[in-house]
Amino acid sequence: MTRLDPTPPLAGSVAHPKRSFRLPAELGPLAGLVVLVAIIGFARPGFLDQANLLSLLETAAYPGMLAIGMVFVLALREIDLSVGWMFHLAALLTAFLLAAGINPWLAAFAGVLLGAGLGLVNGLLVVALRLPAIVVTLGTFAMFRGLAAVAVKMQTSAPADQSGELSQIVHGKMFGAVPTAVFVFVAMAVVMQFVLHRSRFGYRVQAVGSNPQAALYAGIPTGAVRLQTLVLMGIVSGLAGVLWPGFPVTDADQGGGFELMAIAAAIIGGTSLSGGRGTVIGAVIGMLIVQVILSGVTLLGIDATWNPFVIGAVMLLALALDRLVKALRQRQAVRFQENLHA
Amino acid sequence: MLGSPIMSVRNLAMRYGGVVALRDMNLYVGPGTIHAVIGESGAGKSTLVKVLAGVVRPDSGTIRIGDQTVAIDSSAIARKHGLGVVYQDLSLFPDRSVLANLFVGREPLRNGLISTREMEARSRTLLRQLELNVDVRAPVGHLDMGERQLVELARELLQTPRLLILDEPNSALDRRETEHLFTVLRGLKAKGMSVLYVSHRLEDVFAIADHITVMRNGRDVLTKERSGLSEADVIDAMIGQQRDSLFPPALSANASTIRPQITVEGLSGGRISGVSFTARSGEVLGFAGLEGSGVEDLFEMLFGLRKAQGGTVRFPDGHGLPKSPTEAARRGIGLLPADRRCNGLMPDRSLAFNIGNIVAGARNWGSRRYSPKAAIAGAARQIDALRIKSLPDAPVNSLLAGDQQKIVIAKWLETAPQVLLLDNPAGGIEAAAKRKIYALIRQMAANGCIVLLRSVEPSELTNLSNRVLVFHRGRVAGEVFGAEMKRRTVLHLITTGEMPEAERPKKKLVGSMA
Repeated sequence: MTRLDPTPPLAGSVAHPKRSFRLPAELGPLAGLVVLVAIIGFARPGFLDQANLLSLLETAAYPGMLAIGMVFVLALREIDLSVGWMFHLAALLTAFLLAAGINPWLAAFAGVLLGAGLGLVNGLLVVALRLPAIVVTLGTFAMFRGLAAVAVKMQTSAPADQSGELSQIVHGKMFGAVPTAVFVFVAMAVVMQFVLHRSRFGYRVQAVGSNPQAALYAGIPTGAVRLQTLVLMGIVSGLAGVLWPGFPVTDADQGGGFELMAIAAAIIGGTSLSGGRGTVIGAVIGMLIVQVILSGVTLLGIDATWNPFVIGAVMLLALALDRLVKALRQRQAVRFQENLHA
Repeated sequence: MLGSPIMSVRNLAMRYGGVVALRDMNLYVGPGTIHAVIGESGAGKSTLVKVLAGVVRPDSGTIRIGDQTVAIDSSAIARKHGLGVVYQDLSLFPDRSVLANLFVGREPLRNGLISTREMEARSRTLLRQLELNVDVRAPVGHLDMGERQLVELARELLQTPRLLILDEPNSALDRRETEHLFTVLRGLKAKGMSVLYVSHRLEDVFAIADHITVMRNGRDVLTKERSGLSEADVIDAMIGQQRDSLFPPALSANASTIRPQITVEGLSGGRISGVSFTARSGEVLGFAGLEGSGVEDLFEMLFGLRKAQGGTVRFPDGHGLPKSPTEAARRGIGLLPADRRCNGLMPDRSLAFNIGNIVAGARNWGSRRYSPKAAIAGAARQIDALRIKSLPDAPVNSLLAGDQQKIVIAKWLETAPQVLLLDNPAGGIEAAAKRKIYALIRQMAANGCIVLLRSVEPSELTNLSNRVLVFHRGRVAGEVFGAEMKRRTVLHLITTGEMPEAERPKKKLVGSMA
């Protein structure tokens, strides 16, 4: 991903193997997205309406933010199943506080803080018990979900006060047409892509995910990196929850299913399940692919009940592609070596 | 050689990617003999065993068993032709019982259920012959290494092979266990079994073999009856021309008035107890010992991977043991792990990424940003200095073993460490890279670094270190230096834990290997 600079001349008489220009890894998913949009746009021209596309973007923004966080978790060779319910709890808390007449900014802050706290719980359990995050978050997934159900039951649903400053911002459009959530989503993607590839933290995440044992032997604080990443995931989920308009639907499945969408988007975008590599931009594209497919499914008149099936299938397809690409890359590495030593 | 060979190999060649493991290997094993194959690490011994076991397929060459040319495409076919292989890394299931291990994959059934009674009946005689007196229902993990080796041997013998192949069978055994194994092997030979004994230990080969084949660079360079060979002949054949040039001349350390040092007193924990020594800057302190003798544990403690239970340690910076590898790295203490693939490298990432491991990964000062440009510059510097044949953005798994090891060294060199713990740094790499790494070790010491060097090759220790500490069962069995520093003395200490009583003149050994 970071292809740079002419390399300095080598010592000795090694022949330079020819370096081919490598395309950015995100190009594949991007091409897939363009093709999908073209196909659906051709079949149902209404799909290409500006309003429809913007609403699609907004639908993509919430699980999209989770996908951005998930890229870090996957790059760490871990997986977080509890994101959907961290999101849901943060959305609930913010809505409750708003309904209770608390300052909207304070309510938003509380929501993000809650997300960070839940992420901290995940992180502490992972580090202290030395368990894989998938196991820990399977447990916290159920706990957070239960917590959400209890919280909803205790509060005899009060609709959120829509007059608050925050709600106005959230529901308002920036620059005329862009919903705030979309704006935050895009800004977050840019910042996080930078963090992953140009910060010490991002380097460490990739290093630990690439080979945790070697990272330990290189003195990389692996425990701290795991903790920080899972807290980051919590903060991102909290932020997405805070931006969720109004009261999350009490239906237990709201926010649930987001974890699948986030993981699928990250993988479709090119983040490796085996850790060590990730691309935030790819995850954004991946989430758009997921949303385009879902909206295509609806436009084609297929019942939305099929959605989880479709997401799962697309994710497996992406994984199969990933395997294929890896096998090809392996072959390329062998060929590279043979050129070098022949 | 008497009679027609029971197994022969002709013109065998095998490449892994760009690495030639076997280039023109020939071997004839006669019936009822113990035939040893000896060679340095990387000579191609393990590949030969893998080919015979059906694990890998050779690129060319023929294998004959009896008077039949065979293609060994799988381990099942190897078995069918009567080749039984006992591997170097024990391939047992430690949590399963001895019986379960003996019959793994072909458990005898009675009424559709696995019958342990049947297993016991079938293995009893054999185990008695091997003098393996253990509870056959106990998990293998409870046995000591010698017993485990015998279990593995018994597993192969149960399938009545025509040729038994042992790959470095005693690398984890102590003297007594090795003797026992040899007695067993001689008994098998007396019954007409042929044995192919693959090893890099000279003493063992001379103790057990009837015929010896020496391998170097993937081919057989010498085959003779043992009685017609001296140790010196074999050593010469093993190392060929490189003998003199392999180890660079000693460098004189930069004269400096203050000599920082590590002081270890009464250190205990893991497998070691009461270990004391001092290592000064500018010297290479060698560590020898069998696997399990405690040197690994000592290195892990000094690097913060393992907690000490007692004793005091003082590093040059005035502090004690680091609490974590992170603290160690930040204090300028580096460890080159023995298992380079598992613990040293991120194989699918670039050279630049790997070389940045400590600078960007462990250290906490400087910018919070990670600059790929700086990483590539650093990598280019190291690639140039260490003569690594690749580019900064090539993935590490495209490199040869020697260059991979240089990457692990380079990532520490980038941080100019004060203390370097080298755990078998030349293990399993090509001769040319070995030479470069030996020169680097010398150079690091000369630059004022404190170098602790563990090696499984006594010749490395005697040639590179100023002093050698020999560990035996968790204690320092002796310190060897100066005129005493001979391969034979070190070997004797390693295996017995005692200094040779008198340095009587032995058979003449050649040059620096003596």
